[in-house]
Amino acid sequence: MDSLAAACRASFLLLVLGACGGGRADPRPVVTISGSAVGDEGAILRRQMDRFMELHPAVRVELRQTPDDASQRHQLYVQWLVARAEDPDVLQLDVVWTPEFAAAGWLSPLDRFAPEAAAFFPATIEANRWDGSLYAMPWFVDVGLLYRRTDLVPEAPVSLEMLPALARAAMAGAGAPGGPPPPAAGWVWQGARYEGLVTVYLEILTAHGGRIMDDSGRVVVDDPPGVDALTFMRDAIRRGVSPREVLTWHEEETRFAFQNGDAVFMRNWPYAAALLADSVRSQVAGRVGVSTIPAARGSGGRPASALGGAQLAINAHSDVPDLAWLLVSFLTAPEQMLERAEAVGQLPPRPALYDDARLAAALPLGVRVAREAVASAVPRPVTPLWSELSERLQIALHSALAGQVEPGPALHTAAADMNALLERSGLRYGMNAP
Amino acid sequence: MNRRDGDTCSSTPDDSLAREERRLGWTLVAPALGVVLLVAIAPLAWTVWESFHHHDLRMPWLGRSFVGLANYRELLGTPRFWASLAHTAFFAVASVSLELILGLVLALAMQRASRGRALIRATVLVPWALPTVVAALLWRFLFQSDAGVVNAVLIAAGVLDQPVVWLAGTVTAWVPVILADVWKTTPFVALLLLAGLQGIDPTLHESAAIDGAGRWRVLTRITLPLLRPAILVALVFRTLDAIRVFDLIYVLTGGGPGTATEPVALYTFSALMQNLRFGYGAALSVTIFAVAFLLAVIYVRLLGADDGRGGSTT
Repeated sequence: MDSLAAACRASFLLLVLGACGGGRADPRPVVTISGSAVGDEGAILRRQMDRFMELHPAVRVELRQTPDDASQRHQLYVQWLVARAEDPDVLQLDVVWTPEFAAAGWLSPLDRFAPEAAAFFPATIEANRWDGSLYAMPWFVDVGLLYRRTDLVPEAPVSLEMLPALARAAMAGAGAPGGPPPPAAGWVWQGARYEGLVTVYLEILTAHGGRIMDDSGRVVVDDPPGVDALTFMRDAIRRGVSPREVLTWHEEETRFAFQNGDAVFMRNWPYAAALLADSVRSQVAGRVGVSTIPAARGSGGRPASALGGAQLAINAHSDVPDLAWLLVSFLTAPEQMLERAEAVGQLPPRPALYDDARLAAALPLGVRVAREAVASAVPRPVTPLWSELSERLQIALHSALAGQVEPGPALHTAAADMNALLERSGLRYGMNAP
Repeated sequence: MNRRDGDTCSSTPDDSLAREERRLGWTLVAPALGVVLLVAIAPLAWTVWESFHHHDLRMPWLGRSFVGLANYRELLGTPRFWASLAHTAFFAVASVSLELILGLVLALAMQRASRGRALIRATVLVPWALPTVVAALLWRFLFQSDAGVVNAVLIAAGVLDQPVVWLAGTVTAWVPVILADVWKTTPFVALLLLAGLQGIDPTLHESAAIDGAGRWRVLTRITLPLLRPAILVALVFRTLDAIRVFDLIYVLTGGGPGTATEPVALYTFSALMQNLRFGYGAALSVTIFAVAFLLAVIYVRLLGADDGRGGSTT
């Protein structure tokens, strides 16, 4: 379903690009921006673009639509940037792409514009630094959250071990009196072989007190916490707490299962909260609670949310970098962030906004949980090699979850591979230190 | 100028005429050759050259240095490469052999159909006319575990007692992949074989029947040997296609679970487009090309040998 929609969008993109080839009578300079432009996200972006043009009548802003699927968008960007295209001037980047694109020389450093970096959550700024320079501005933050059915599990689990126990109890229970039977699935998450799986693993890993890289820049996923975390996920499938189907699921499949009342717990991003609260489409409206993923008992771990989200960066070959910056600073200003949160529930990366009553009213998941999750968000390692490191980790995780290999050996091979890759790259760790 | 074997009196004008003809021929062919050089040979040569370099877009600080065969050495030492090669071979053998058998059955049936031939042939071609990505999506829906038709049918028939998560199993994930390919390309094979069948002189079958040969005997002794060129053509096309399989698996399994269904083309795609390792990716591309080319040469030899013998034997 996802890819079909993506395919439709891609063909639409071709139409848009084709249509743009026509004559341009308008003498105003054009700033082009690319990013998610479908549904409510597209509507809010267009509204803000129009407002920007009212403020700056001498500039025209154009939207370049890109596929919503992250890896497809990544490929398209690479094609454009390798070809040194001038457009789009402003790029919406996934949080892990900034170092990769910055190291390749495709992004324009932003320090000369004196960005107000201190007004953002530090983790969101650090993720956008490469070799001491800032290359992108955080636009909205994504954090991994644990959704639960409050009618089946009134209180959020305080330890990770309670998660499967509570799930199993709810699955075995009678369900609501006179209502539908209890859910068939206990805990659903994103288990397909893609970046999403790595973020789920990162949360369970942090909850076990582990990390992907240590301070010296070595990959340490095969340390005991790393193996424990993967074993925890594998056993959830093996013991029937998580359905085996999760191995093919992305965000939307898990949301459908939870929304239809088929799951007790769900790991997902904040976008799901607004959709789950919609009583027309959701069977579980009004019965959803949100918390962070709790720490494993006695492991030295901590509650954790994986840090995701979107950034805005400027194409290094842009012909109008100053105008592009004008647009970036407008879109990342507090007012536009609040409007975005109200319209699509995306969390702002500015801590000050969490005291704003408008944000509290806008977030169905609650501003307290949101702030807690963002403040404790764990970034993925900041390195231009991330996509390849992640791919190797994804393969190890997925093979172990599918039961092809035991977690220990799978992670051991992956860690050795990843370290060899880092060594070959000649990257000094701390190259990114500000 | 004067060749020894051209000593007959009428040879000189003939020779110059032939030379002129040849020159004209080359002149006429030159534009086409230029195009081939530009669009086929040049990119290939560039890819080979690229494969001798360390060229990684994500690591511009390492430069683009000449590294000789280092990319190929790395390739040969990577288990994922060998696994992907094995997956490709398995996919090619399994899908192509099924397609040949089913295609032959279909072709024989189509040849026998007396009414509505054109309509039957057109209908049979529908799966082949469908874009691969669409076909793959279709099969993914069929094999979905919770809402998929396949599980529902198998459970209703009593074959399964609970749904199988097809795409998450190392072995089961191959089932939709191979079925989808067989479904999609059997019509193509059938039409090729049908053309071959129609080239067989029907009097051969009639005289064999008069001599008292049974149907099986006619099939194995007359039809199949005479169909050999058509079978080989189908084999060439299908094997070379199967070796480059990409879109079908990209959509259906993404190469997973883990890398259990990842073919070489998908591995190359990940090296080139996802990890931006142009040098290593080029080495992978050259390797696929070499394998496909080798197979093509073998097949063409087989075809040629068959033609030669076809003329001399009775």
